[in-house]
Amino acid sequence: MDRRQVIAAAVTGLVTAPALIRSAHATDKVQLLLNWYLYGEHAPFFLGKKLGLFEKEGIDVTIMEGRGSGVTLQAVGAKSTQFGYADMSAVIRAGIRGAPVVSTGVLLQKNPASAMGFADKNIRTANDLKGKTVATTPGDALSQVWPAFLRKANLRDSDVRLLQGDAQTKLNAVISGQADVLLGFSHDQSMKLKDATGKAVFPIMFSDYGLNAVATGIIAHRDTLTGSPDLVRRFMRAATLSAEAAEKAPAAAADAMLEADSKAGKKDTLTEGFEISTKLYRVTPDQRPFHTNPAAVKDTVELLVEYGGLDPAARERLASFFTTDFLPGKATN
Amino acid sequence: MAASRAGSAGLGRWLNAPWLRPFGMLALLILAWDLAIRIFDVQPYLVPKPLDVVLAFRSDGPLLLREAVPTTIATLGGFALSALFGIPTAMLIAGSRTVESYIYPLLVFSQSIPKVAIAPLFVVWFGFGIAPKIITAFLLGFFPVVVAGVQGFKALDTDMRDLARSMKCSRWQAFTMVSLPNALPAIFSGLKVSVTLAVVGAVVGEFVGSNSGIGFVLQRSIGNFELPTMFAALVLLALIGVVLFWIVDLAERLLLPWHASQRHVFVATT
Repeated sequence: MDRRQVIAAAVTGLVTAPALIRSAHATDKVQLLLNWYLYGEHAPFFLGKKLGLFEKEGIDVTIMEGRGSGVTLQAVGAKSTQFGYADMSAVIRAGIRGAPVVSTGVLLQKNPASAMGFADKNIRTANDLKGKTVATTPGDALSQVWPAFLRKANLRDSDVRLLQGDAQTKLNAVISGQADVLLGFSHDQSMKLKDATGKAVFPIMFSDYGLNAVATGIIAHRDTLTGSPDLVRRFMRAATLSAEAAEKAPAAAADAMLEADSKAGKKDTLTEGFEISTKLYRVTPDQRPFHTNPAAVKDTVELLVEYGGLDPAARERLASFFTTDFLPGKATN
Repeated sequence: MAASRAGSAGLGRWLNAPWLRPFGMLALLILAWDLAIRIFDVQPYLVPKPLDVVLAFRSDGPLLLREAVPTTIATLGGFALSALFGIPTAMLIAGSRTVESYIYPLLVFSQSIPKVAIAPLFVVWFGFGIAPKIITAFLLGFFPVVVAGVQGFKALDTDMRDLARSMKCSRWQAFTMVSLPNALPAIFSGLKVSVTLAVVGAVVGEFVGSNSGIGFVLQRSIGNFELPTMFAALVLLALIGVVLFWIVDLAERLLLPWHASQRHVFVATT
């Protein structure tokens, strides 16, 4: 063979080799449907995608904004999307009605639900809520735990005045002064209010009053777990590593989000919102992200049964709502 | 023999009665719905069984009826405003080319603005009471009345107009005795569309900000995956629309007995 042929063969080999190697582990194209429009909590997924953590697991993930945990859950149940990011209360409420959807890893192990208002209103404790106007959305994740909060904080329904509206109306109501506080996730609406007005927001955390319900995490269809267990394991490993990487570099995580969608928010408040959400990742210090605490799920069901009108049969079906079988091994950091 | 034949003819006529047919169609649809759920094994958290919806009516009936009141009031309020402002607007547009060229295109332009996007602003400006719901109901119901009204007023036969003028009709007489009656059939068809859209508008307003109403019940039941209640609320909303439509239709029959559309074809055979 002359030199030109050798070079041609070498170049061909170099060019095709990566493709050949990759085809041995074909890339899985998956969709992750989030629970809501973008806010700080979602930053880890974007950082993970940017750093290639999903790609390393052979996953090409498309992250899509959602329209509520309920809708995301129904989409996963109907197999319109492989993975979803939704609130545990939705998984439990739908699961008890036969939805074949399972939580594969809860990210927010402590509840971010709060009653928040502008800091200058000085509404800092549950007692301060007496006589105040609270904006809430009927049927959403917050409204599921509100009755529980009232009982645990020793408040009666008549102690507060409720204004019901959709998500935008809740924000408008607090900004315009029609409501004193709104029910929201401590790291979501608080940042939106700050973005809109520049004023600091103080959230009264429901978890401070003994509300131990877990919140959002990754969900998948039962058939995905049985039909593609390796995919689920790889996805959860990528997600866990993404969350750990984002915890170490919150600003970079916010940047990744803004690179994916420049309208996701403002960098400062996205970073702040994400940092607040990381404080909810663990119940015990050595817990890796997404590693669901079974006791916390049990508490969640108890709360919903006692205060949320959930069918008590849910107590016996605890194991059907979540699984830890697809999570990666012990902490490496 | 003759008696049994007469009896079966009576039963046949009764079964074929026009007012019974929609119920027959409804029964068929409910059957198809139930079969589809059984055949495709549709889960109850996606679509409820018809029987569950009936049971939801039984258990939540009083609540649904109670919440139907504010929705109906908002619908009627919005509809009344649509008629009150829509008909004169149609008159103005039909009567003057200048007005038409200035206003009509803007009206059409405004129709494409999704009301659900601007509804939150109404809540900020007018609060959480019934006002924003009446406004959204009005915004949805206004356009059909105007379009139909313009059509009706413009469709006046020129011969009729000339006849009226030749008889020395005053402008008011020409309007009340010739123009308006001529436009009424079209206006009523616009009103019928408008009233069903007003129901939608009232619910959109309730979705955005309300402590009561069917829209509120819908939101809450969707969030709690109480699908039978949600479907029961939807059925009730549809019924409200049907009843209001029927009332407008009745008004049309009383006011326009002379119109061709009110002619009834009698079947002379048995």
